[in-house]
Amino acid sequence: MTPALAVHDLRLLIGGAAVVDGVGFAVAPGEVMALVGESGCGKSLTAHAIMRLLPDAVRQDRGYVALDGDNLSVLSERQMRLVRGRRMSMIFQEPQAALDPLSTVGAQVAEGTGSPLRQARAAVLAMLDEVGIADPARRIDQYPFELSGGMCQRVMIASALIARPAVLIADEPTTALDVTIQAQILDLLRRLAIERGTAIVLITHDMGVVADIADRVAVMYAGRIAETGDTAAIFARPRHPYTALLLAALPRRTDVPRSRLAVIEGRVPAPSEFPTGCRFAGRCPLADARCRAETPLLREVARGHLSACWHAEAVR
Amino acid sequence: MSGAPALRVTDLAVHYPARNGPPVRAVDGISFALEAHETLGLVGESGCGKSTVARAIVGLQTVTHGSVMVDGTEIVGAGRAALRAARAGMQMVFQDPVTSLNPRMTVGAAVGEPLLVRGLARGAALRERVALLLTECGLRPEDAARYPHQFSGGQRQRIVIARALALRPALLVCDEPVSALDVSVRAQILNLLVDLQRAHGMACLFVSHDLAVVRHVCDRVAVMYLGHLAELAPRDALFSAPRHPYTRALLAAVPEPDPVAQRAKPRVPLVGEIPSPARMPSGCRFHTRCPMAQPVCRETEPAWREVGASMVACHFPNE
Ligand SMILES: Nc1ncnc2c1ncn2[C@@H]1O[C@H](COP(=O)(O)OP(=O)(O)OP(=O)(O)O)[C@@H](O)[C@H]1O
Ligand SMILES: Nc1ncnc2c1ncn2[C@@H]1O[C@H](COP(=O)(O)OP(=O)(O)O)[C@@H](O)[C@H]1O
Ligand code: SF4
Ligand code: SF4
Ligand SMILES: [Mg+2]
Ligand SMILES: [Mg+2]
Repeated sequence: MTPALAVHDLRLLIGGAAVVDGVGFAVAPGEVMALVGESGCGKSLTAHAIMRLLPDAVRQDRGYVALDGDNLSVLSERQMRLVRGRRMSMIFQEPQAALDPLSTVGAQVAEGTGSPLRQARAAVLAMLDEVGIADPARRIDQYPFELSGGMCQRVMIASALIARPAVLIADEPTTALDVTIQAQILDLLRRLAIERGTAIVLITHDMGVVADIADRVAVMYAGRIAETGDTAAIFARPRHPYTALLLAALPRRTDVPRSRLAVIEGRVPAPSEFPTGCRFAGRCPLADARCRAETPLLREVARGHLSACWHAEAVR
Repeated sequence: MSGAPALRVTDLAVHYPARNGPPVRAVDGISFALEAHETLGLVGESGCGKSTVARAIVGLQTVTHGSVMVDGTEIVGAGRAALRAARAGMQMVFQDPVTSLNPRMTVGAAVGEPLLVRGLARGAALRERVALLLTECGLRPEDAARYPHQFSGGQRQRIVIARALALRPALLVCDEPVSALDVSVRAQILNLLVDLQRAHGMACLFVSHDLAVVRHVCDRVAVMYLGHLAELAPRDALFSAPRHPYTRALLAAVPEPDPVAQRAKPRVPLVGEIPSPARMPSGCRFHTRCPMAQPVCRETEPAWREVGASMVACHFPNE
């Protein structure tokens, strides 16, 4: 089956540094793929590159994105504008900031249909209802400041989905929300994937969110994919030292309170300081001379489970 | 003063006046005590009043009514001199390590300032104390000469903690101390806080919205909802046998980093959103979202009472 979205060997440069380097993955219709990693590892830039909305400072010098098999890099900016919002949409972390403060909820959601609100009103009301907004007939004429953060996120999801795109890119859609509201939004995303067959790329730094909703995961570190595979497999047996440490660093309900949490010494290097070889070598307990000299490429270590580590077999 | 708890908060309320309409009842009558050496977690959703409680305790917030006794000394309405004396015994660590440090002050000057200002150390003795504090917090003595912008977020939080510990406070109030940090760095800071508390035995009020973190570091946990305490219980009781419907909903909503456990969990989604503290619901303030609500909940505010080892404000707690 042709994947709904395929990203091939993406490389993004800022100055001379490859802040995203060789990133690739595919998402099937109805699948939720999580992109996880710590701050600055390149998750949002990858998302913006998929939408072809990169900031000026960033240059893409390699790779391409395909939607349902169609290579997007051959499209003009005008053609791309028709793709965004219709075939592929994006939602962001700060829903209040992403919505237009001077435009009503209804007008913003209607934009995705290409028709004015007068004509699209019924469709907008149905969409607001579908994303769980209570009393849509009242909310449709309100402005973003009259809504809570959770409601703004629902409005953003409604406007991203009204044209029934095949792909949704969600960049930390629940990070700014409380856990009780987060649970509601994750339930909504899950329902969209199942009922509409939307392919979802969910960017997050929260392993709990990944465990809850993702079918597959790609763990990013310093601009590269460290490990990728089925969610169950990655949590059961991580094959990259970074993933293993990230999971061990989390306090869990089954831990002895105040027991020592695993730490990853040091910190993520800045793009200008990326070392040659494995970018995790400076913090990795398994690093050796080969790791510092040669870049490990993603390789299959179990069926459908890929790790970019020379010592993947020795992890834990 | 021995015998008195490290902190006793009684019927504390902070109402923010609003330009038009009723005041925001951010904190609306809460009571608890904190023994020496004890860590109490304060959890709840954003806007429920956690930070306002923290600021009121360290005297950074005008209090509407109620009492805050730190080591037996009243903070509410205390004069400048009394407040200054009390502040030596309590320190606060905030969420954002970037804005809590003066960018033009070296790390050494920042960490040593509380000692210098109170005339407790100067010159070589001061430098020695600073070096010790930095080492204790996982930094190097040489770092004293550098400026905050030269450090990462996690290192800056270490600096803030070193400064807070300079006067060896008996009470440490931490407001979301690890919320702005990445997972790997968060683990370093949590380990540090656990070590420091073992070494110095200060009492600690630990404000956080992250229940996993709170379970890891706290002896007891207070759950706050709309300016009130819903439940206060020893850690294990709270996590294994939550009595208040809100505590149960909150625990159910936290996604576990374990796909098998997480997907097997019964889903008890809480409907709706937290109401505005300027328009408090009648009766039990949780009744608009509570799956257990009965007619009486809309009319009568539940009393704050003991159920087993826990304190709960609910007409129908899990017994
Ligand atoms: N417009 C820009 N100009 C210069 N550098 C940038 C720009 N946007 C991002 N970067 C840098 O590129 C790298 C990747 O950034 P990105 O925003 O993709 O990270 P992220 O994984 O989304 O992090 P977070 O979890 O903090 O959102 C970082 O080093 C960041 O500082
Ligand atoms: N200085 C202030 N003026 C007016 N309202 C405030 C002020 N600070 C906080 N509030 C309000 O008081 C309530 C509690 O806020 P806060 O204590 O910051 O909550 P938390 O720390 O639990 O997120 C919120 O409704 C908030 O908007
Ligand atoms: S390649 Fe080497 S340094 Fe990189 S993660 Fe694997 S063992 Fe560690
Ligand atoms: S008093 Fe009633 S509404 Fe309030 S928490 Fe208890 S059951 Fe729910
Ligand atoms: Mg980002
Ligand atoms: Mg707060």
